[in-house]
Amino acid sequence: MKVVIVGNGIAGNEVASFLREHGTDKEIDITIISAEKFPEYDPCSLPYFVGGEVDRDVVFRKTLDYYKDSNINLVLDNKAVSIDSKAKKVTTEKGDVFPYDSLVLGHGGSLFIPPIPGVNLEGIFSCKVLAEADKLAKHKGTKAVVIGSGAIGIEAAEALKLKGYQVTIIELLGWIMPTLFCEGASRFLEDEMRGYGIEVFTSEKVLSIEGDGSVELVKTDKREIPCDTVVVATGVVPGRPLAETGGVACERGILVNNYMLTNVEDIYACGDCVQTYDACTGEGCMYQLKHNAIEQARIVARNILGEKVEYTGAYPFARAHYFDTHAVTFGKTMKGAERICSLDEVEAIERRNMNGYLRVLLKDGKIIGGQAIGKVADYTGLLMGCMWRGDDLHEFRENWPAIAALGSPYPWQARKLGQLLGLSALDAKGTKGSDRVKAILK
Amino acid sequence: MALKEEKVIVIDPDKCTGCHSCEMACSMKHFGKTHSHFSRIRIQEFREVNTFIPVTCQACEDAPCIKVCPMNARIRLESGAVVTNEDKCIGCRACVYACPFGAPVVNPDNGKTMSCDLCMEDEMGPWCVKACTLQQALKFVNARDAARAKGRDMARIIAEDYMPPKQDSDEFAFSFSV
Repeated sequence: MKVVIVGNGIAGNEVASFLREHGTDKEIDITIISAEKFPEYDPCSLPYFVGGEVDRDVVFRKTLDYYKDSNINLVLDNKAVSIDSKAKKVTTEKGDVFPYDSLVLGHGGSLFIPPIPGVNLEGIFSCKVLAEADKLAKHKGTKAVVIGSGAIGIEAAEALKLKGYQVTIIELLGWIMPTLFCEGASRFLEDEMRGYGIEVFTSEKVLSIEGDGSVELVKTDKREIPCDTVVVATGVVPGRPLAETGGVACERGILVNNYMLTNVEDIYACGDCVQTYDACTGEGCMYQLKHNAIEQARIVARNILGEKVEYTGAYPFARAHYFDTHAVTFGKTMKGAERICSLDEVEAIERRNMNGYLRVLLKDGKIIGGQAIGKVADYTGLLMGCMWRGDDLHEFRENWPAIAALGSPYPWQARKLGQLLGLSALDAKGTKGSDRVKAILK
Repeated sequence: MALKEEKVIVIDPDKCTGCHSCEMACSMKHFGKTHSHFSRIRIQEFREVNTFIPVTCQACEDAPCIKVCPMNARIRLESGAVVTNEDKCIGCRACVYACPFGAPVVNPDNGKTMSCDLCMEDEMGPWCVKACTLQQALKFVNARDAARAKGRDMARIIAEDYMPPKQDSDEFAFSFSV
């Protein structure tokens, strides 16, 4: 059996190593076609390498020897450009042809470069691929502008600040990390960021980047910022063009069924390039997160090996971390909830105390998302568990006296959850506790 | 993976008295000091109902912390324990947030996370279990035995529901004399 994997990212490698590990009884010929020159590395860790927190070799997940030892044919620096799904062949830009029995598309996305005048000047970097990160790490400058404030933008800003740059973040939308956090939490993070000495400008549009050869100035609709380094972190677009050459159906990303199979026979897809569905609410989504890529890749590998395994859906879970500020978000934000229902149906529980900030969004009593900052964030796992199981929190509140009573059969997580949501233990004591004392006195 | 002869720490919260000896033993073993903030096991206290729950890494089969770590610093050891590689960890706490129990602990010294390594290099076994010899709330047993013992306990509880109520000897005699 010939398996060709396009893309040497986390998803592609997970498929390859899973096939090697679990398909020992079968003759599998694995080829990975990579557009880059490196063995597998982790894009999540690039900002920390740029900032000098870790060494360069830490970003690699595998060494070249691994591919040799496990008999995986790795084709580097050779981009796949077209798929012939009838003849079952993949052609690369150097003209090599790879026939396949099963094809896995795991080439992820490419960076979205906004059509700003002057975006090709020297001194403009991205932080998505290792080659760019290498350049950024070597670059010497003093003033940096980060365009876009997604997870990558924030981490890149921290990295540059650690390197001694004077950093400014420009965000087009109303608040930073708009897809990850609701406005309240985001404003708090923004203030923290200013506290660390990073300038943040929201609701601003970059009009042009100017300079003679290299970057000198970034012009927005409100101000002009002199700088010598620009990092573009404006999002990732899924790699649809390759898939479309093989007649694979795409919407926002590559469409797959529950077995991660596309509409073309024997072509699977996984990772950042696919559009799947949300595990909790069921609507189509593209979260482009590492844990989803790993899970999807395992499903692909098991289906190639002949098992019939269904994917249970993607789930968003991300954390934002810079310097001493730690925040976490899961599920939907207010903005994301808008897509699935009207906002009147969404109930927000907000709590703020010395242990941090917690916000939980409920729809029909069920958790659909939340955000936390500070110490309370340690218990995000409990809330995520609730979201997964679809626990009804309205029912939970009614049951609270029974849950908080002495010797209740509920697990401790339920009691902790009540504390997190601000339900008082005294409520429970008032009813059940006194009953208990009466029972003892009898 | 699960059916290998792996040893696990089994927690029986009913027996925990909240004495925090396990925390002291853990921080003593790994850092040479007795401070609960340096312990990889912690006791979740619910004082209003006198309930104490020892919480430690359960080394999940399909561990979410391994998947979400951006630096691939969470690794599974041969013993089955899931630990943090401190050379790679950058202290982002993704593993803490993703954990269903919030089990990984942040080392106050360097901000990196740490979790139970089962004291594997120590012949004596996990120190927390030794510290709990009196209460027996923590036990270090084979994974298979743990499952079996739990099943047996559950079976006993269910069986009690179906058994005839226990009677005093007087009543017993009375019921026969009728």
